[in-house]
Amino acid sequence: MIINKGRIKAILIKESQDIRKNTNVIYMYLLPIVLTILWERFIPGMPEGFALGFGLMFLVVMAGMYVPSMIIAEEKEKKTIEVLLLSPATPAEVFIGKGLLTFILIIITAIILIFISGNQLANLTLILLATALTSIFSIFLGMMVGLLAQNQMATGVIGLPVYLILLLVPQFAMMGVELMKNIGRFLPTYYYFDLLRLIIEGKGLGEMHLHLSVLFGSILITFFVLLVIYNKRGIE
Amino acid sequence: MIRVENLKKRYGEKVALKGISFKVQPGEIFGLLGPNGAGKTTTIKILTGQLLPDEGEAKIKGKDPLKDREKLRPVMGVVPEQTNLYERLTIGQNLEFFCRLYNCNLQNIDEYLRLVDLLDERDTQVKKLSKGMRQRVLLIRALLHRPEVLFLDEPTSGLDPSSADNIHRLLIRLNMEGLTILLTSHNMEEVDKLCHRVAFLDKGSIVVMGSPEELKLKYTNRKMKVLIKNGQELEERILEMDSEESARLLAEWIQQDRLQAIHSCEPTLADIFVMVTGRDIT
Ligand SMILES: Nc1ncnc2c1ncn2[C@@H]1O[C@H](COP(=O)(O)OP(=O)(O)OP(=O)(O)O)[C@@H](O)[C@H]1O
Ligand SMILES: [Mg+2]
Repeated sequence: MIINKGRIKAILIKESQDIRKNTNVIYMYLLPIVLTILWERFIPGMPEGFALGFGLMFLVVMAGMYVPSMIIAEEKEKKTIEVLLLSPATPAEVFIGKGLLTFILIIITAIILIFISGNQLANLTLILLATALTSIFSIFLGMMVGLLAQNQMATGVIGLPVYLILLLVPQFAMMGVELMKNIGRFLPTYYYFDLLRLIIEGKGLGEMHLHLSVLFGSILITFFVLLVIYNKRGIE
Repeated sequence: MIRVENLKKRYGEKVALKGISFKVQPGEIFGLLGPNGAGKTTTIKILTGQLLPDEGEAKIKGKDPLKDREKLRPVMGVVPEQTNLYERLTIGQNLEFFCRLYNCNLQNIDEYLRLVDLLDERDTQVKKLSKGMRQRVLLIRALLHRPEVLFLDEPTSGLDPSSADNIHRLLIRLNMEGLTILLTSHNMEEVDKLCHRVAFLDKGSIVVMGSPEELKLKYTNRKMKVLIKNGQELEERILEMDSEESARLLAEWIQQDRLQAIHSCEPTLADIFVMVTGRDIT
């Protein structure tokens, strides 16, 4: 697969110009920051790193999936996606270019969250690695929702249950709900949340093989499915 | 340049194209004329590789719009039926994005903006533009990478006459510089004025094809309208072209110095459409 950096850059520049005028999207990055501050400051007796974990999960799922799905759905609704479909840009370039800004903003927000929480600075690299992998999966899944939904409204309707499952099941599982643990095993976000737990408990990379493999695998699968859907939609 | 052969397309039960064929020569302006739902947009979508035909073949420069899309995309420009600019971005940002995607010179932007009189609006957000301005932006966006063939789907629908005229003049100028153009329209006068050749599309079939002049000659009723002086009054008479009687009358009126004007009664394209399909184009 040949990837043209110029075209990815073109899409990245356009997305970053666009986002400055798009307040809905900006809120999605501010929300996890506000929530983490609230949990950290105002809910007493939270275990070590818990507020950070919730904040990161919220960031990766809600910004990571909701934002790309809305961006794609809007392009479909306004037919601007035809510009891309007609251009020399390949599907892979389109998705990488469109996802890149979300990815960068998630990493920046994650760093802010780690600093807000304060006590996990030593684990910064590992947390960012886990967050980066999971957010790539999230972004591709969000784009898939955007491609499959008829319009922006439908994107919310299809997306919300998906987001809630991916967001809440791992958290209930962590609280010891057995059923949720069983469902969780099929969700990449479960492995992310568990990975955060391992990192916070001070475990090393050696104990994270399964988690990392699941995340890598999820990225590959979603990217592949995404290309298939885009190619099908493109000539429909 | 463009070759279409026996193209068929249906959407579920609905047949959109019933097997149309036509060719467009390099340097030609070709018009696809037809009422709503005739299949114009469908044809353009197939030619630009956005839609797969059920049967038949469409070729641009001998290449397949979909399979050879990497080769074809740089040589074709598309003005879609529906404005699809990024509303939150400015004109300039929209055009820069396009330039970067096609890897063409960013300096082309100002050149084309000047051409359509929009240079001062470069930093205006698209959502604040009028319909006519949007249409001009859409047109130059399709030109920035200097394509060899331009597809326009109803480029002037909804524009006032002077905006439409603006676009017509630009198209004629680009064509003189060698650009091949395929446009769709349901405006007969527009097509008459611009196109070297036209095809009438009706319910998915091409019913008539030829140059506007050819068609008018072919469908003429061979009559003429004559204005003569009748004392102080002007009188209008319709005469057969191929009759002795007309020749005699004309000679007489000329000798009597009564003849004021002669017009051949050639049909407009709209008349021809009615003759062929039995229906009005609107
Ligand atoms: N996506 C679609 N699904 C179902 N039917 C469609 C679709 N697109 C077009 N059609 C039908 O196919 C026929 C041809 O449509 P097309 O859009 O090509 O017409 P057109 O000549 O461009 O009309 P207009 O002047 O309104 O733009 C119409 O009867 C239309 O209802
Ligand atoms: Mg149409």
